[in-house]
Amino acid sequence: MIQMEKNIVSFTNNTVTKELPIQINVENVNIFYGDNHAVKDVNLPIHEKSITALIGPSGCGKSTFLRTVNRMNDLIPSARCEGTISYKDVNILNPKLDVVQLRKEIGMVFQQPNPFPKSISENIQLPLRFAGVRNKKTLKDATEDCLKQVGLWDEVKDRLDRSATSLSGGQQQRLCIARALALKPDVILLDEPTSALDPVSSSKIEELLLELKNSYTIIIVTHNMQQAARIADYTAFFYQGELIEFGQTRTLFTNPEKQSTSDYISGRFG
Amino acid sequence: MNSKITNRIALSVIIVCAAAMAAILISMLGYILVRGVSSISWHFLTTSASPFLAGGGIKDQLWNSFYVLIITMILTVPIGVCGGIYLAEYAKPGRLTSFIRTCVEVLASLPSIVVGMFGMLVFVNYFGFKYSVFSGALALTVFNLPVIVRVTEDGFNALSLHQKEGGLALGLTHWHTIKTILLPAAFPSILTGVILSAGRVFGESAALLFTAGLSTPDLDFGNWNPSAPNSPLNLFRSAETLSVHIWSVNTGGIMPDVQTIANGSAAVLVIFVLLFNLCARMLGKVINQKFSGK
Repeated sequence: MIQMEKNIVSFTNNTVTKELPIQINVENVNIFYGDNHAVKDVNLPIHEKSITALIGPSGCGKSTFLRTVNRMNDLIPSARCEGTISYKDVNILNPKLDVVQLRKEIGMVFQQPNPFPKSISENIQLPLRFAGVRNKKTLKDATEDCLKQVGLWDEVKDRLDRSATSLSGGQQQRLCIARALALKPDVILLDEPTSALDPVSSSKIEELLLELKNSYTIIIVTHNMQQAARIADYTAFFYQGELIEFGQTRTLFTNPEKQSTSDYISGRFG
Repeated sequence: MNSKITNRIALSVIIVCAAAMAAILISMLGYILVRGVSSISWHFLTTSASPFLAGGGIKDQLWNSFYVLIITMILTVPIGVCGGIYLAEYAKPGRLTSFIRTCVEVLASLPSIVVGMFGMLVFVNYFGFKYSVFSGALALTVFNLPVIVRVTEDGFNALSLHQKEGGLALGLTHWHTIKTILLPAAFPSILTGVILSAGRVFGESAALLFTAGLSTPDLDFGNWNPSAPNSPLNLFRSAETLSVHIWSVNTGGIMPDVQTIANGSAAVLVIFVLLFNLCARMLGKVINQKFSGK
């Protein structure tokens, strides 16, 4: 118990008092890589305008699951999924679904900051242009708006034409988040967005996510339990491909139902 | 044996090998340049070759070399880059893909004299293009195409998967991701490869002997109408290139200054190939810097 208290920080940010409406509903999802059964029979509601954290030890299937929500796993030829992920009355896993449209509504930010080797403004305008925005003023305003949302505007407003790769790692990651916001998605998926960053940059991203959840639904994979405890409204604990436990973060951390959840969050394995 | 001693022996062997390689290269280049540079003059570069008399130059041959090179590049770069993109981005691993890849490798390693024979049979005789710039460029395409395919495929494969994921996650289509993100990022390495292959094409002779021919009509550099038989731009006239000229002068030249002409031409050829290589390095560096930022 002493060890548990050490692991857990304050829950001041976990503001959920009433159940928020469900935006994405995951039912009986199984994911395979060839013969490897990577995610087993997961059922999980994702609540609107909240942060849901997926935690668990390496290889537990949390990233695989996240990448299925906007069909990034389509890139891997051996990957195969079964089940239903309902979002706006459609099943995301339907092979006939227009994944390009889906990814405009469900954006993603990766572990490694991956700005395009182009100018800062071009990084944000590229997806907009592809989506059909041609008006220069609209593009400029959108650039400013997105950069302001991630708190990067004051740092880069004088060098928007400089290469995005000249930014620091933390700035690059915030630029990647800004880029994902440009298309005004409903949902943002983040795959360990701070694990390649220093602590100061990480805490900036965490603050940013807490602000963004007022407008967006956020699902974040993290290996950092303190991070989940600090920012997530809901937490799902994955272990060996199974969803062991899901609930409000505070409940899951202070009063876990399952023994393995308790063992993991108290640092006994993982 | 003491591991320190082993280490030293290995290091010395490697240094000796590297030094031997550099020495061979430098002495060969030095030999060609020292013997040739003295015969290079403005007159040499801007006078047509004379079949019997001394004092002929290499104007037409130099022009032909560049013209064949440009036509070859126009034919190979678009097709080669598209092929490379296909192999790197679209081809699913399987029998067909590995068959295509094997074809590319075999094509790239064909002896150029065989390519020349093939070119004579197919382009010169069968299609009736005669000994011409166009036949020569088509023959060179046969062995330059696989090089460009390779260079493009390698350029794309060297990019990190993160870039591609980044594009796709933003709701871009695969093609748009390639066009706006991957191709610009791979551009420096593709350009470097293209310029290096240009050096090889520029110096090629065997494949051109039977395709571009051993003679050049009396070119009129005031007549730029491509359909005129003596126009420098005419695609269907025979065109002896610089490296073919070196070979033909050396084997059958009857002008008194054969040695001077051969030496000078060789030096010019080497200087241009060196320039191509230097350009490739510099351009690659500059563009890379431009893309990756200061």
